[in-house]
Amino acid sequence: MKFSETWRLSSKIYKEVSFQSIFSLRVGSPLPQRGKRDIRQLVRSARTNTLITKLITTAFIGIFGSIVFLPLTVNLPISGASRELTVVGSVSAFLAVVLFLIIFMGLQVSTSFVSSKVVEILSPLPLSKRDISNIVFLCFIRIFDIPLITAITVFLAAYLFVGGSILGSLIALAAIGTTEIFALTLTIGSARFFYTRVARGGGRSRWQTLLRFAFMLVWILPTFAAYIVVNFAGELVQSFASLTQGFSSSILQILALAYPFSWGFLVSYVTFPQAIGQFTLVLSAASSIGYAAIAYYCLRWVTGTVRKMGAGGIVTGLRELVKDTLIRPQVPWLGIIRKDLRVASRAPSYASLFLLPAMQTVILAISFSSISEVGLSAALGILIGISMITLLLPPTLLSIEGLASSYTRSLPMKKRTLISAKTLLSTVTYVISLIVLLIVASYLGRDFSYILTFGAIHGLAIAAAIMLELRILTNKFWTEGFAVGNIYSRLSIYILIFIPGFAVVLVPMIATIAAFFLAEQLVLPVFLAVASAEFALMSAVVIREK
Amino acid sequence: MEQLAVRVEGLVINYGSFVAVENLSFTVKNGEIYGLLGPNGAGKTSTIKVLVGVLEPRSGKVEIFDTPLSDEVAVKSQIGYVPEEVVLLDSLTPREFLEFVASIRRLEASVANSRIERLTSAFELKQYFDTPIAALSMGNKQKVAIVAALMHEPKLLILDEPLIGLDARSSKILKELITFHAKKGGAVIFSTHIMEVAEKLCTKVGIINRGRIVGEGTVDDLRKLVKSAEGSLEDIFLKVTEQEAGMQEIVKALEEE
Repeated sequence: MKFSETWRLSSKIYKEVSFQSIFSLRVGSPLPQRGKRDIRQLVRSARTNTLITKLITTAFIGIFGSIVFLPLTVNLPISGASRELTVVGSVSAFLAVVLFLIIFMGLQVSTSFVSSKVVEILSPLPLSKRDISNIVFLCFIRIFDIPLITAITVFLAAYLFVGGSILGSLIALAAIGTTEIFALTLTIGSARFFYTRVARGGGRSRWQTLLRFAFMLVWILPTFAAYIVVNFAGELVQSFASLTQGFSSSILQILALAYPFSWGFLVSYVTFPQAIGQFTLVLSAASSIGYAAIAYYCLRWVTGTVRKMGAGGIVTGLRELVKDTLIRPQVPWLGIIRKDLRVASRAPSYASLFLLPAMQTVILAISFSSISEVGLSAALGILIGISMITLLLPPTLLSIEGLASSYTRSLPMKKRTLISAKTLLSTVTYVISLIVLLIVASYLGRDFSYILTFGAIHGLAIAAAIMLELRILTNKFWTEGFAVGNIYSRLSIYILIFIPGFAVVLVPMIATIAAFFLAEQLVLPVFLAVASAEFALMSAVVIREK
Repeated sequence: MEQLAVRVEGLVINYGSFVAVENLSFTVKNGEIYGLLGPNGAGKTSTIKVLVGVLEPRSGKVEIFDTPLSDEVAVKSQIGYVPEEVVLLDSLTPREFLEFVASIRRLEASVANSRIERLTSAFELKQYFDTPIAALSMGNKQKVAIVAALMHEPKLLILDEPLIGLDARSSKILKELITFHAKKGGAVIFSTHIMEVAEKLCTKVGIINRGRIVGEGTVDDLRKLVKSAEGSLEDIFLKVTEQEAGMQEIVKALEEE
């Protein structure tokens, strides 16, 4: 088969994989019964969402590329050695971010790629095994095309812009190539492992449950790492330069052996040949060649694995020896929470959202670590940040109901039970954020008592906001047969739900600021009174739900 | 007056401008196995989805054991439902899924466990009990849905194409269970495209075409309706849904190709 034909067919399969990455677990909604127009809209949304994910990753890479090389153009270091180490830091940080961002983006789509059984669509067609393998491989490449090309372009352009050499550009090209191959290897390896051992291997034992959660943490680590690195890009590069400034040559030589620093040292040397020691150069060159060789084998593994998928070679579903059929029913609200946690433990998109508020807290705590005393305005600022992320949880949690709503809606589930269960789960996530904040505050030796006092009280307003969001969603869900699972394709609805929720968390803060100017001693009582009133009001509304 | 298991009056269901069910009325008594038959797109599944509370009708009156549909929780507590497209929570195992359903239905652990043990043995599902539903075959998914529907011993069973994907043994067991359920006084609404099964199993049949009931009664009643003394349910079905006309010519044309 001609390459052009294979490329064209891979586009069709890619569209299907993109669709499944968003809707594969959401087919249980009653939406497909609603007509062709809705389905077409969903297909379009799926494509748009995949493209947006790609473009966001691309934008991150582009922005980060600009920021990371900024110290070399704007804030030039004073001593001669720092400039070289800044290049090492910039190159290494960029490679690390590209690695994390591509893995993060890839993990969202690759699991669908591994599980989509694309081969089942292609197998009955009059295509040879080789053709199928090629189509599947090209489809895999399509998942990453724009970010991969952008990473290369941005890296080379930024490097040349800050005065890089031609030889340095070639080494930079090898460095970014190696990084991209590593990212693809880790992505497909993790997705394959996740699919075969985590998502499809049930597991009743505590050990297996623990393994699932541990893997979920590893799974979302790239998010966290990318978030931190992107947020503190400039600072990281400068910190690296100043930190390594004081390092002995032996420590630098050890660093020159480690990826991605080996590439950083090598690029830096060919840019400023006199500045780095010969031995460090030999070490970085040798290790970089070693990493390139590993990348070559990784590329062969990725190609082979992806092609094997094309031949239907992924074995899944390890069946367990079943001893009994005993179940442990709980009260309905606890049953819903347990089900939500189980579903979340097997889906990265849900699991990452549970941890996002805590992560956001860490980021905010680090951001505020330079302030010796956190006052009222800073405390309210942090709380707004945490609550904004927490308010994203309820629609996501309710979207779990959309996974099989054509069945679960036939169950005698009261709206108030559903709202209560999900409010409790979301509020607990917020409380965990506060605990994380306490731990970080203790570690940094800062007094965060303001945040903890106001944060604890603000929990009431957040619970009220969550109840409001869930009430709006459940009513729409119940009366219109609205497919909650497809909420991501309807960002306008998401925003419309978020706005009233956010208003509820803001009201106590506005009242507190007003109290601050009118009668400062009433700040805390006013905050408590408004938050409590909101909670009481929303609780009363929810209790009335049938 | 005898309590009806299901009373549907003037049911109208629409998807936008498309009217799927138009002024549909029927009743199901306790102890009755009501076969809901009709060609593809006739409105069977839409009707069933309204009965189980998955879909909101545009208008009409629906009562389950004299309880209006608006009293959702009370109505749903009395129903056991097997959907046409078995889409359950795929990432859960059957054990976890049944645990969730039993929690929502507030079943006692001892009661639920003894029923699950019997049903999983009957449908040979035990070996898959800790395998994620996503990894199960269509037939086994169907069995999970059947166990979930029967677990709470509902008074009304609503089964939408329940035999699809089932092996002969499980199919036989399910048919026996349906018959036994009706004999005990329970009611069953059963949708199928397999006319032979409907003919043997159902005590009453309602044929829907283009959203309307075009024939209702026992098979004998329907024979009288089409003025045929010996025709099978399949023949009756094709006649009342006006699908018989021209069919012979189409088959002949296909054979000649």
